[in-house]
Amino acid sequence: MFEWLEYTPVAVWVGESLYGYPFMLSMHAVGLAIVVGIFAMRDLRLLGCFDGIQFASLKSLIKLGWSGFVINAISGVFLFTSQATMFADSTPFLFKISMIFLAAICAAVIQSRIRAEGHNWDIAGRVTAGSAQMLAALSILLWTGAIISGRLVAYF
Amino acid sequence: MEGLALAAEHSALHTWVETSALLWPILEIVHFIGLSALLGSMLIIDLRLAGLFRHINIAATHKLLPVAVIGFGLNLTSGTLFFFGDPIRYAANTGFILKMTLVLIAGLNALWFWWKINPLMKTCEPGVELPVLAKIIAGISLGVWFGVLLLGRLIPYVSTG
Repeated sequence: MFEWLEYTPVAVWVGESLYGYPFMLSMHAVGLAIVVGIFAMRDLRLLGCFDGIQFASLKSLIKLGWSGFVINAISGVFLFTSQATMFADSTPFLFKISMIFLAAICAAVIQSRIRAEGHNWDIAGRVTAGSAQMLAALSILLWTGAIISGRLVAYF
Repeated sequence: MEGLALAAEHSALHTWVETSALLWPILEIVHFIGLSALLGSMLIIDLRLAGLFRHINIAATHKLLPVAVIGFGLNLTSGTLFFFGDPIRYAANTGFILKMTLVLIAGLNALWFWWKINPLMKTCEPGVELPVLAKIIAGISLGVWFGVLLLGRLIPYVSTG
């Protein structure tokens, strides 16, 4: 099903040029650091760490996190095309993609909750909704799971 | 570097890392989690010192520093074990040598930060910006850490020797 993808000019460039694959891998590490790093700090803040950073101010940081997500969606598509059949058959890879999909939904919900309730949480001095904190904890678990399964793609 | 690599090659730690099949992927996972913690917290601290995200109090970002220290600790530990697992190849790898040089610069920059900026940060009132030196140190930190990230991922692809 994915075989044709591997023969597209883009896939051939990533797979065969000297710099294509390592360049995309490096970009993927940069995007990972931004998206997982920033979203994890957002989650820790919601869970009660870093007292003093206003909840409402997380909105602009979340945009920075999404920029990492975009870098990795793009570099990830390039990396995928070069070995599409291998990735499509890899169980850890399918786990990784599912967890990223759920983590992205989680991030979108957290973002709308902060937009709606952030100011109230700042007045109260803490997140007053347990469900928002549950989402933050879930988000950390999903990103950790995505990193673990992503690394295991190389081994299974 | 070569002497160090030879000593590492003949250590018990080398044998342990090389013969534990599960250890290498576990170390890789730890290294990625550590870099997320380090880069995530450093990004917020440095971009704020550089003058972005002005609605966040500088003093509050100071509370992110322990996360950066924990992330660095995880990566120093897992990274040292990587080195012991394959010392001869790492020691001869241009990407690795450049990466370690940048980590050293980042360390010296962190000391500079600790000496000059850290005391100002803790007591910084909301809305107040720190001196230009804070922006310089933050800029060096961002540049160097992203360089470390890029070079680290290139280690398997650059020439050895």
